[in-house]
Amino acid sequence: MNVLENIGRLGVKTVKSFLDTISFAFKVICRMFQYRSYNSAMRMVLINQIYFTSVQILPVFLIVSIVLGSLLIGIAFQLLKQLGLTDYFGNVLMGLIVTELSPFFTVLFITLRSASAINTEMAVMKVNGEMKTLETFRIDVINYLLLPRIINGVISLVLLSSLFSIVLMVSGILFSWLIFGMSTDVYINILLNSAKFFDMVIALIKCAVFGFFITLIPIRFGLRASREFTSIPIAVSGGMVNVFTAIIIIEVLSFLIKLF
Amino acid sequence: MAKNYHRAAPVSLDVPLISNQEIWMNIALIKQYHENMPRIQAEKFVLNALQRLDLAHIAYKRNPALTDEERFVVLLLRAAMVKDALIIIDRPFKIIPHLKNSNSILQALKKIDDFYTTCHIYDYKWMEEKYGAL
Repeated sequence: MNVLENIGRLGVKTVKSFLDTISFAFKVICRMFQYRSYNSAMRMVLINQIYFTSVQILPVFLIVSIVLGSLLIGIAFQLLKQLGLTDYFGNVLMGLIVTELSPFFTVLFITLRSASAINTEMAVMKVNGEMKTLETFRIDVINYLLLPRIINGVISLVLLSSLFSIVLMVSGILFSWLIFGMSTDVYINILLNSAKFFDMVIALIKCAVFGFFITLIPIRFGLRASREFTSIPIAVSGGMVNVFTAIIIIEVLSFLIKLF
Repeated sequence: MAKNYHRAAPVSLDVPLISNQEIWMNIALIKQYHENMPRIQAEKFVLNALQRLDLAHIAYKRNPALTDEERFVVLLLRAAMVKDALIIIDRPFKIIPHLKNSNSILQALKKIDDFYTTCHIYDYKWMEEKYGAL
């Protein structure tokens, strides 16, 4: 009986936490569309966050995307040639690599670099009592701390994923010439014919949703820290596990939307 | 006090500076948030205020890099940024423990007296002698 009780308790806790996250997400979305949320202080934090997440990361991100992108393209093209599926290379490039793998690798990269930093930052602020400072001076935590970080997550994910796709397509020129002996004109023609508008829209929406949740969840978990330093690692590990769960759920949902 | 709660501006270690922001940002935050003061104007305003207290050099530092005196002045300036501020200094000698008397605190308050409406200092009875004739 105890085992059943524990499973039930865990189930209720998980469902409650999921519903809390969703209702909190709605609250944040409502604030996004309120003009008064965008005051000078919030805009300054937003610009700083975009700089830290999208600009500061660029050299490393470009190197990783060139290396990883070339590797992916090289393996995929080589495999297509061996299987005699050369005709499908445009569909594989656009349908799998550009619209599926590129957002996925980007979200993993940003999660490891920025989501973990946001999670720790929030937990440390909570431990230091800095949330109390904001409260004392009547500064709304959602408007000042959360909104800029979440909007930054959405913008950065969309932009960096697009950059990753561009790098992939550019390295595709080289590999299509090396493996298939294809000219640039033919390569671009095949790409344009394989690109589907609906897939592109889904990929961009997916990136925006990824960006929203990989910043929202770490913030929520960071704010759950108590006034003790020992609560920081607990808040960070809990937040990161939940972020990875969210990434998988979003991937599955986007796949289901494309399927039906 | 209840109707003036929006004017209350505490100076206390229990209301710390935001550690991931530079000093000028901490001070400018209230003006930027409540009065929507543009960033450049707010930065200039804070630099002038710090200049008055001969502390312009700390504008781009962060909280851990400050001395106790500097931290107290920054907390005071931040509180003074509240519109029609009613400054409440909570145990100043807890913020600057090595201070012998309240002279430097009073001097700092005098230098920025046009920024606030009133100021109240709260401390323990046994700290009375540190305040001298006040």
